[in-house]
Amino acid sequence: MPCALLGDRASGKTTFLGLLYAAQVKYGTGVQDDFRFHAPIASLNVMSAVYEGMKDGRFPSATLKEEITELGFIFGYLRKIVGKLPYYIRQQNWVRPFSTLRFSAYDVSGEDIEEFIDTGIASRPLIQQLLKSVVVAVLVDCSKMTTEIDTPAYKKMLRYDSTVAKLLVSFQTYKRQEYDRLKDSGVHTDPPRIYPVFVLSKFDTLRDDVLARLGLHRGFPEDKRQRKEYAEALLRVFVPQSLSQIRGGKVAGVSMDKAAYFLSWVHTETQEGMDPVGQSRIVRTAFAPEGGGEPDFSYDEYVTFIEHFRDIAHKIPDEILEAEKFQAQAMVRSA
Amino acid sequence: MPRIVIVGDRNSGKTTFLGLLYTAQVKSGSDKADDFRFHAAFESLDEISGVFQRLMSGSFPDSATKEGIREITFRLGYRRPGRGIFSRQRSQGWASDSSVAFHLIVLKTFEDDVARHREGSSIADASLRDAIGSDAMVIIVDARKLVAVDDDSEPKPLAKYDAAVESLLTAVQHSRAHAERAVLHPIFVFSKFDRVDADTLRRANLESAPPAVRKKGPRAAFAKALLDPNLPKTMAKVRARERGGLEFAPPSYFFSWVRTDETVSGRAEKVRLRRSGAVAWEPDYSSDEYLAFLECLWDLAAHTTE
Repeated sequence: MPCALLGDRASGKTTFLGLLYAAQVKYGTGVQDDFRFHAPIASLNVMSAVYEGMKDGRFPSATLKEEITELGFIFGYLRKIVGKLPYYIRQQNWVRPFSTLRFSAYDVSGEDIEEFIDTGIASRPLIQQLLKSVVVAVLVDCSKMTTEIDTPAYKKMLRYDSTVAKLLVSFQTYKRQEYDRLKDSGVHTDPPRIYPVFVLSKFDTLRDDVLARLGLHRGFPEDKRQRKEYAEALLRVFVPQSLSQIRGGKVAGVSMDKAAYFLSWVHTETQEGMDPVGQSRIVRTAFAPEGGGEPDFSYDEYVTFIEHFRDIAHKIPDEILEAEKFQAQAMVRSA
Repeated sequence: MPRIVIVGDRNSGKTTFLGLLYTAQVKSGSDKADDFRFHAAFESLDEISGVFQRLMSGSFPDSATKEGIREITFRLGYRRPGRGIFSRQRSQGWASDSSVAFHLIVLKTFEDDVARHREGSSIADASLRDAIGSDAMVIIVDARKLVAVDDDSEPKPLAKYDAAVESLLTAVQHSRAHAERAVLHPIFVFSKFDRVDADTLRRANLESAPPAVRKKGPRAAFAKALLDPNLPKTMAKVRARERGGLEFAPPSYFFSWVRTDETVSGRAEKVRLRRSGAVAWEPDYSSDEYLAFLECLWDLAAHTTE
């Protein structure tokens, strides 16, 4: 299942992927063993370099970010019923013990996106690939959230909101057209659905005065509904167009109602009484029996993020397979 | 898809009107609990979100933005009543078959096209073709130009515009004399109503603000008191009952304003932003009027698809 990761320049896309990789490494090697992951060699090369750098306290460099256009992971979730089988049966391949989900993040250049937004035509293969995504993860950079309307950060956020809204509409349009095409070919399939995910990146940089102005407290709630309300309270202010187009998907025939919200932060070193010079350094955790020397980041949020895809993985691959089957049927009919 | 043309004098606020209409939709359709949702077509979003960006940063649309705005397509959906508290049923209230798409077309200039048409030219220009095929016409009336006309000796700033709109309506009427769908909904929008001359209102025995949106009768009376002396030809045209051919539906009236802040001399005025709901903010504008306008479009769709 392809997943698109959208983010503004310097919004923390590579850091997000690096931390996701770190979370996968830790979570995938836990005692519970109901989650596994795999990365193709090209992605692994990049991600392990990012991971090494983070373990050394460094944020990913700009050069590293440009090395690859698609970063992919395969998430494997142990099927519930398989988990109850005896160990030796569970190990057999014919049981298909894991539901898998292909998580791909595309690094599309700003020019490609702008060309697509200007023309509405997805001429580049990467953009076409991007539009096939079933999960759309949107990074919203909290360091750009400000209530000062005359600042560049405020205007940047307004522009970013417009760009994301347009991309969301293009995802909807593409899915709707595909659905109509299948329907016209006599293939009956469920109405299209996209799973939006919002990640509030650099959450630790969200300013207190912004929270106070919006009547929000600093901590992100744990309860699912409260998380949603908290995140939407921020998004309604800073990316209202994107939120309205997600809601509006339903009237356009593409449901995007199952949005989920996560936050991401990574602690950085601060020198008391002095401003840091150059790129700040990542704080690392102390060594303990369960591990150590890891970046000090919102690990629980990343685990929740991984777990969010468990239900989707159990369900979506079948839908994707069905869609592929339908497409094959349609091709046979048209031939 | 109902087609709605928007006509207005130069600098009467056509682009700002569309921008505020989009703002009203964004602000009303971004909460899951809202009973309203909308979807903008990709081609429309590029231009209209540019207007939104400007309004949300306190600026009015500039000439480049105005130039880019020509056609906007929105799809509106209101939650179907009587779906109860069951979430599955509630979500079905948003089915795409229960929503309606609207095509809004801004007519930049139409006076020359109408004149050519009046002189007998059989080739209708694009703007005139848009007007001829429309289901509704939004007539923007710049409230700054409204006067209380007691006698004919006083200058009427809207006289030329009145004649142009009347001619346009006549051209549409002639072109659709034998058309099957022969009802046009006139919608009058008073733009910049916060700038209306207080003396004009006083001389017309009107309050400083129009009656609330739900009071349709008093609002119509309020609007007519201003339109009859300022757009007499247009008003006569929409009231006239012709035998056969195109009919005009009873007009609807809306009042648009957006508050501004003073700036240092020589700089463009700024749109004032206000707190909206618990946590958001928006331009300080007549949001109730815009929401009522959207409902009016919804009703119009019900009539045009019957």
